[in-house]
Amino acid sequence: MSTITAFKCNACGHVMYPHHYRCLNCNGREFKKIKPTTKGRLLTFTIVDQLPWGIDERGRVLGVVEFDNGVKALGVIKTANPRIGMRLRAGWKPVRIIGGDKVYGLTFHKTK
Amino acid sequence: MRPVVVAGVGMIPFERRDEDSLVDMLAMASWNAIEDANLGDRSVDAVYVGNMASGLFNHQESVASALVDRLSLMPAAAERIENGPASGGSAVKNGFLGVASGYYDIVLVVGGEKMREVIGPKATDVVACMTHPEAEYIYGVTLPALAGMFARLYMDKYNITQEHLAMVAIKNQENGLLNPYAHIQMKITMEGILTHPQAHINSPIVADPLRLYDCCPVSDGAAAVLLTTEEIAQKLKKPLVKIAGVGQATDTHTLQERSDPTDLKAVRIASQQAFKMAGLKPKDIHVAELHDAFTILEIAESEHAGFFPMGKGAKALADGETRIGGKLPINPSGGLKARGHPVGATGVAQIVELVWQLRGEAGERQVKDASNGFSVNFGGFGNNVLAFVLRREA
Repeated sequence: MSTITAFKCNACGHVMYPHHYRCLNCNGREFKKIKPTTKGRLLTFTIVDQLPWGIDERGRVLGVVEFDNGVKALGVIKTANPRIGMRLRAGWKPVRIIGGDKVYGLTFHKTK
Repeated sequence: MRPVVVAGVGMIPFERRDEDSLVDMLAMASWNAIEDANLGDRSVDAVYVGNMASGLFNHQESVASALVDRLSLMPAAAERIENGPASGGSAVKNGFLGVASGYYDIVLVVGGEKMREVIGPKATDVVACMTHPEAEYIYGVTLPALAGMFARLYMDKYNITQEHLAMVAIKNQENGLLNPYAHIQMKITMEGILTHPQAHINSPIVADPLRLYDCCPVSDGAAAVLLTTEEIAQKLKKPLVKIAGVGQATDTHTLQERSDPTDLKAVRIASQQAFKMAGLKPKDIHVAELHDAFTILEIAESEHAGFFPMGKGAKALADGETRIGGKLPINPSGGLKARGHPVGATGVAQIVELVWQLRGEAGERQVKDASNGFSVNFGGFGNNVLAFVLRREA
């Protein structure tokens, strides 16, 4: 499955997403590209009723998930009744149309 | 560094201003500041314009060059300063540095934004362009959405309720009724925006848990200050309100990368820098203008700036300490919540309000015996923040 690319500092192991040219923890300059694990935990979320131009929906749930390998990322939460701490599994689906093109990003779904 | 005096201040009412172009709004506010400073025929050395997105909102760039032409201030140096919703604060800081360094003697700083030229969802999209393109923007994140995610964590951590958020809105809209420059001129009640079974009709969810009345309006407007040396300000016969402290700090672009997303580190550091430069402490401040783009931010900033211990800001609010007449009035202007938030204008408008307060010219909203003022201008979602301490000399 396609997903985001995160970065793990070779010097201290700090995990970053998105990319930085220096490690936020130790100022290291060398990183290993890593993929997030498939599951994680919801850290916070909001239900957005006033979305920007180009997204024709209401009630989109956006949230930050911490994957099991420490990667933290924002995505669209696709489960009813989200709550902080719940386990979610990641997907990769169109999240917005920009300039007529589908843009893919992280979606998060209830674990089975 | 030389002391820097705010010799002139000017604003135009923040509202929907269909008849005025952005450059006209900047020019009107500038003239008000120039006249307030009794500048006469003295020339202005430099003009700094705080503006976030004239290209996207108004299809116009190089607005500083356009402004000096409109004001016939040539050959003054002119630049636009862009720092998102803290563009105004950044412009003031750059003007301050110009005078303090001795490079310029007289600097005009004006902030402005004409946001209502586009419809609401487009304005939301323009402002969201400051979020991270790959890690945030593509998901439809908005500034209210970031504030909503922050609010959920902050409210849980410090036992802040929706009633507390509504108290900020009610207080600041009451203050706005005393400010003829404020966009929102309407008294609201707890029942009307929160506790009545049908309050959700008046104040629907924008980005849960934040409702409509937890968010600032979308406004057009401009504000200006004229900065100069102590010597010139005395010749102009203006009260000596000095920029005594300036701070600026940054934080990660995305909220998710902060080790503690409830810690507004850039607010804390910028505030500490400003207090240190001024040689003052939070307890010395008599009036504050904080960046309440969302009600939760007024409470959080009041704690991070050091006015209240962490987790005690909501109690101070509920006890009336932040009302006009309280121990530390916050946002007597109505704040962004009522005065409005034309993004590039806000940081300058905060300084204008503080100067009016410290001169004793704030009319019905005057804070008694105020001689030290403080402001926070919050860029991005707390990733580029400015803080100022102003002091009135006897």
